[in-house]
Amino acid sequence: MKLVTYIQTPAELESFLKAKTPGLDFEIIVGCDALSRYFKTTIDELLILINLAQKAHLPLVLEWDALYQEERFQKARAVIDHLPLHDFKAIRVQDPGAIHTMKTQFPWMKMQVILENGNHNLEGLKRWEEYLGEQCERLILSNELSKEMLKDYASELKTPIEIQAFGRILLFYAPRFLLSPLEKEEMKKSHYKEARGSSEESPHTGFPLIENQHGTFMFNVKDLSLLDHLKEIEQMGIDCVRVDLRFDHCFDNYLGPVIDLFSGVIAEISTEVKKLHPRPLIKGFYNINKTDVLFTKLKNKRTQRQDHNYVGEIVDVERDQQLALLIKTEVLKEGIPQALFMITPEGKEKTIALSWMKLSSKEEIKTAGKNDLVLIPFINGVTVKTQVYLIHQDRV
Amino acid sequence: MSFWTPELLAPAGSLEKLKVSVLYGADAVYLGGQKFGLRQAADNFTYEELAEGVEFAHSRGALVYVVLNSFLHDKDLVELPEFLALLSELKVDAVIVSDLGVISTIKKHSNLVIHLSTQASCLNVESAKLWQQMGAQRIVLGREVTIVEAGKIKEATGLEIEMFVHGSMCMAYSGNCVISNYTQGRDSNRGGCAHSCRFEYSIEFDGQSEEAKKAYFMSSKDLEGIRLLPEFIDAKIDSLKVEGRNKSHHYAGTISKVYSDALKYYRQHGHFLSSEMMTWEEELRKVSHRDYTTGSLSTYAGEDSIYNQREHDDNEFVVSGIVLEALRDHHLLVDVKSAFLPGDILEVMPFNGPTTKLRVDFLKTLSGVDLVKSKPGSVVKIPYLFGAEKFNLIRKAVRV
Repeated sequence: MKLVTYIQTPAELESFLKAKTPGLDFEIIVGCDALSRYFKTTIDELLILINLAQKAHLPLVLEWDALYQEERFQKARAVIDHLPLHDFKAIRVQDPGAIHTMKTQFPWMKMQVILENGNHNLEGLKRWEEYLGEQCERLILSNELSKEMLKDYASELKTPIEIQAFGRILLFYAPRFLLSPLEKEEMKKSHYKEARGSSEESPHTGFPLIENQHGTFMFNVKDLSLLDHLKEIEQMGIDCVRVDLRFDHCFDNYLGPVIDLFSGVIAEISTEVKKLHPRPLIKGFYNINKTDVLFTKLKNKRTQRQDHNYVGEIVDVERDQQLALLIKTEVLKEGIPQALFMITPEGKEKTIALSWMKLSSKEEIKTAGKNDLVLIPFINGVTVKTQVYLIHQDRV
Repeated sequence: MSFWTPELLAPAGSLEKLKVSVLYGADAVYLGGQKFGLRQAADNFTYEELAEGVEFAHSRGALVYVVLNSFLHDKDLVELPEFLALLSELKVDAVIVSDLGVISTIKKHSNLVIHLSTQASCLNVESAKLWQQMGAQRIVLGREVTIVEAGKIKEATGLEIEMFVHGSMCMAYSGNCVISNYTQGRDSNRGGCAHSCRFEYSIEFDGQSEEAKKAYFMSSKDLEGIRLLPEFIDAKIDSLKVEGRNKSHHYAGTISKVYSDALKYYRQHGHFLSSEMMTWEEELRKVSHRDYTTGSLSTYAGEDSIYNQREHDDNEFVVSGIVLEALRDHHLLVDVKSAFLPGDILEVMPFNGPTTKLRVDFLKTLSGVDLVKSKPGSVVKIPYLFGAEKFNLIRKAVRV
């Protein structure tokens, strides 16, 4: 399984070369501030890095993952033209505009396509695969996918896949500059700012924040680590695993152990190294993703109509006098039944004998149409928003 | 002579709101079924309601678009073909989609017209070209795109272009926020957004000794684009969308009426140089809203687009009720939404023309008993007002 990681400076490159073990299957992602979400590297620094990496015969991949409105996209496009693209084994792209640009204007260049934002179904992934064709050498999948889904995708997709195994979890990406307004005047010179945010309305504290030329990024208070599951991930058929050591001095603390882990020198990252990490480490949705189970609690299903035998909704209750029923279907068009069935918002079930039905003018009626407001006899326990149905055989 | 204007596309959080939006002038409405959309907490539409909604809208010349814009997981996709068959049968005018798996499923199982949702954050010409190849006939651009850029995207692709003109805005690129997923266990991109961006946060800058600063730093002001209608028209933007499926009847009716009146004025005169502009803006201030901004419509949104305040109700007007029945020369039956008293002066909003004042000379129950106060969630009788119709909104000033 291939180790994919980021290098930002010549010093990091040197450290990597020293730590690298023979036979290590790896790939280095580089980028610059104009194209990449978090890279601080300038274009000139990137050119130096490319040069050094070439001398060491390192496989380099260029990252172009920032999102751009049209005007900014054209500026990024000019940067692409300025870079020696032939020096990279591939480019990793996320914005569909960047994907389309590479497909139509640089068809010779291999793409690694970042599908981390959504793309939680095989149907879509296969469609991406079909569209991208041979030019795509890798699909980078979302860290919201569970291992069950990943295993399925690894067996169904023809293109090699990559997942993130270590690093910050991005929660929020905004194009607006949200930290600058809060910063002291003298600090405003720098494009790049880091901060932490906490809210009393959230049980979590210390969300890492970055503001740079691309906008504002917020990360989870816990970082992702699947490093204890590499064997399982490999057995699932995942081809590449990304380890992001760009933040929190992780490069210094983790590089050696990570390389040893991937080279089989050690079986797991030691507790001492893990303790150096500034935030708790989690597995995210790797085991299971149940982020839709709470949806059923977001609204009262009992106040929603069920279509079968539906009559309408109680809109007014006048105690000991009558109920006002707003008819919402045509089921009483041919005549009124002897009784009606009701479900209150609290779930109580009521049956009412329909001895009379009247218009608001008190005129008695024998039929009623959609949108009519009619009065029917009062019954205890029925409240506004009670849903009214014809009595179905099942309910008698 | 009639001048061209874009379509006005209004939200329909429920069947009743659909009717309100259409009657107050929307050219098209967008709505969600019980699944596949991004508003799990909204009422949304059952099949029968959807059928009625489509019939109601079509019979009045309005179009209906159905949102299927969740980022669906495999298990969610299973039920989609059946729903697509229903939508085809009902002849909905388009579906709004953000996920390529959903697009692919739609193309396999139906001939439904596909609009790419803003949730896909399409921001540039090249991106629009990609989605065009995937089958989108219309692109709902990301709210980060300027009108000028949108015009370029339209010119370069020939696609129909839809832009937001009014309503709440995500601070993040749409579809690029998963705060709720990790902090509340609710998938924001499948309709479970917990609006954590509206919270107050305490911000500590790294490497600075300064005290933490408290701010609603991720909360966006609301979009208001009425003054920019000429720019939308010049850029030939096809559709102007109003956000707000979770918002009130008052909101749906007022925003539809104001923008529709403004566009109607343009169709007749070819310009917006009307004294009515002030009235339209005043009307927009009468519905519940955060401070307004033009967002990124003219230039990319800046510091002044941040709504650094706690969410609060500071409305000039509240909706008192909706007319359920107008019995000529006798009374109006009103579905009460907020309390009012005998003697209060209410305003009835007709579907066309200015609002009319109505004094509550009597306030009675349906059986004729006098009331001292109306109760939300009840139906009351108030005096008849000439011209008042079913579904007219009735509102009351709460702050002068």
